[in-house]
Amino acid sequence: MSPFDPEGRRAVAAALESAVPGSVELGALDYVECLLTAFDHEPPRIWAAPGEWAGPAGDPGPDAPAWLDLGPWERQAWQQRIADWASVYGRVVAGTADEADLRVVHAHACEATYGDPAYGGNRDGAGWARIGFPEPLHPPAGARRR
Amino acid sequence: MTTSDCDVVIIGSGPGGATTAEVLCAAGWSVVVLEKGRNHLVDLEPPHEPLRHFANDEIAALRRHLLGPDPLLEPRTYRRTVEDGERLMVGEVNNLPSTVGGGGVHADAKLPRFREEDFRLLSERGPVEGASVADWPIGYDDLEPHYAAVEQLFGVAGEDGTNPFAAPRSTPYPLPPGDDMPMALVTSAASRRAGLHPYRAPTGVNSVAADGRPACTDCGFCGGYGCPVQAKSDPIAALQRALRSGRCDLRPESYATELVLDASGRRATGVRYLDLREHPEPTVLEVRARRAVVLAAGAFETPRFLLRQGLGGDLVGRYLTYHYQTFTVGLFPAADFPDGTGGERGRSVTHLHDDLVVDSVGLRRAARDAGLPWLRGGVVEHGAGQMPVDEATTYGPGPHHLDAMRDSALRRRMWAFTMQGEDLAQISNRIDLDPSVRDVWGFPAGRVTYAPHRHELAASAYAAPLHEAVMLDAGAEVAFSATSPPQGSLDQHAASSPLGMAPASRHVMGTARMGSDPTDSVVDAGQRLWDVDNVLVCDSSVFVTSAGYNPTLTLVALAHRAAHLLVGE
Ligand SMILES: Cc1cc2nc3c(=O)[nH]c(=O)nc-3n(C[C@H](O)[C@H](O)[C@H](O)COP(=O)(O)OP(=O)(O)OC[C@H]3O[C@@H](n4cnc5c(N)ncnc54)[C@H](O)[C@@H]3O)c2cc1C
Ligand code: SF4
Repeated sequence: MSPFDPEGRRAVAAALESAVPGSVELGALDYVECLLTAFDHEPPRIWAAPGEWAGPAGDPGPDAPAWLDLGPWERQAWQQRIADWASVYGRVVAGTADEADLRVVHAHACEATYGDPAYGGNRDGAGWARIGFPEPLHPPAGARRR
Repeated sequence: MTTSDCDVVIIGSGPGGATTAEVLCAAGWSVVVLEKGRNHLVDLEPPHEPLRHFANDEIAALRRHLLGPDPLLEPRTYRRTVEDGERLMVGEVNNLPSTVGGGGVHADAKLPRFREEDFRLLSERGPVEGASVADWPIGYDDLEPHYAAVEQLFGVAGEDGTNPFAAPRSTPYPLPPGDDMPMALVTSAASRRAGLHPYRAPTGVNSVAADGRPACTDCGFCGGYGCPVQAKSDPIAALQRALRSGRCDLRPESYATELVLDASGRRATGVRYLDLREHPEPTVLEVRARRAVVLAAGAFETPRFLLRQGLGGDLVGRYLTYHYQTFTVGLFPAADFPDGTGGERGRSVTHLHDDLVVDSVGLRRAARDAGLPWLRGGVVEHGAGQMPVDEATTYGPGPHHLDAMRDSALRRRMWAFTMQGEDLAQISNRIDLDPSVRDVWGFPAGRVTYAPHRHELAASAYAAPLHEAVMLDAGAEVAFSATSPPQGSLDQHAASSPLGMAPASRHVMGTARMGSDPTDSVVDAGQRLWDVDNVLVCDSSVFVTSAGYNPTLTLVALAHRAAHLLVGE
């Protein structure tokens, strides 16, 4: 479920796109939505786990968790942080974002474009491809996390 | 309040605490290790295999505090001098991971030894006005067997005989050196042309499969990241051995808050801690120690812990040192970095040179010009630039962003020298308790008051042009230098340094100095507090000088020595 209505989505997408051109096509809006709704899931979607990637510790099997759990104090900190960011995007949607808000949008656009695709951005690693950054080794491209 | 018993309680599971635990367990003693951070490293159930929590993931490691501490829960504060008022900033200050394994989990583990002179700086070089230059109460010879032992325990990969300035060794490195980063070979060649002596960095990373863990895959996400294949040995190797002895009870999410003392106040009988698995009201627990308590909370948190109880004397937290970092950045033509030859693959640093640590005509001349009796720089790391998210956030927003990322001055085309410059101890540089900022559990935050001595500035000013010339000779189109903490006025600090206002160095030392006289030190030569007989400090708090070398091997060798002294060997 998106935290934004269609108009809000358009406003957030425009802010992300103006911070990092091309970021929305690579999934930046999905990234922000995934972040703001992280606590709709259990465990919350804050830290992606290696998942089914069979590293040197061996095949973890199909039940390998896709996300790492948070401790209770980490949950408190992340709930606070996400609530703060929800307010930032509220101001973006309302057209009242200040410089500090736009710094948050810029940081999220960068993370979404060039971070691990597990978080909803950098679709199929295309962000890395467009700057010639080689696919990370762990997990390898074929076993990329979802 | 629940109680349980063991021989020794250790506070902190980083390299210092893990090494202490390993030695004590091997001697048949039982230990409880209290670690305030969470566990992403090793299964607490036998056979204590590594956990599978790490990937090449910039977002989890660098943007989302996977390894802690979360600055919203545990803020720290910084000011340069008392004239700045109570503080200049609140947030992350010298944060090392707060997690099982401490800073060892994400360090890229260059593990050089100190040299003989480092332990005798006052005798060898003499005093410097405004600084507290001192000799250590022990010498290199006292520590050499422990250096040799911990190099074996951590499987240090290195090469004998290639660093002409290295201190004498009784044993060879246990593992051969790992792969070279291609650009480090280019800057090493240029360094040699300038009369410098680069060598392969001794590293606590498996260059070949060893100790049940695989060889490094040169994945590139090294300094700042947990290793996805557990090729880094420090400190998982020590923790696994301690756990496998059956005598180590490692308790993550256990925040030590207080030493429990007997009626005399001179003996610790245990430690109180918060069980952070509970929220919002963590239970206070107590663990009793039959023999000793070891503080290995790191050189920032150990003094903070002691200051809360007023233990350790007036010098706790004082003589804080870092390494004064001078970065010389070279921007190379893209063609010099064919795929995979930049920092995108490989460990973050594979080569070092020590020339600026040792006395030379050039340094003597620079010292004279600066009106100082002598100058020492520090080890120089030949290293890579940023990873893509980090790089992207450095460039401002707007239409040029993609072009800047494609041009990639700060990642693909960048190579850097980092000098970890010797930082002279000053009594005014310190960690104390912030008067009003608190952590989420209500304890005063640690506050840093730090400004470099002019020795550090002069050494940096000497190193910068020398290294810029080497970078240009190596093929860089542009070379420039910057320091951390940045120099200049407050406005310039805030506006211009991407590394921030506070020292970016994660080499924190000296805050519970060792010595042979209680009037000028906090612990004795066996690392025991002068005022509480059975409390030892086993982290880099005890350093007397900062030495210009990465601190971990030395703090681990000291912990190994102190633990052996404790068990009477
Ligand atoms: C990116 C990076 C790269 C680095 N690379 C190198 C390198 O190449 N070579 C090198 O020598 N050094 C390096 N370092 C520094 C290295 O990480 C530290 O020197 C080392 O971790 C210090 O070990 P320690 O055991 O003293 O403390 P720490 O590693 O800080 O461990 C202390 C532990 O104690 C815990 N703790 C603190 N207070 C409490 C409490 N009250 N109760 C319970 N637990 C507590 C903390 O959570 C922590 O886990 C690097 C650091 C960084 C950030
Ligand atoms: S470069 Fe090697 S040691 Fe470093 S994280 Fe990657 S695999 Fe591990």
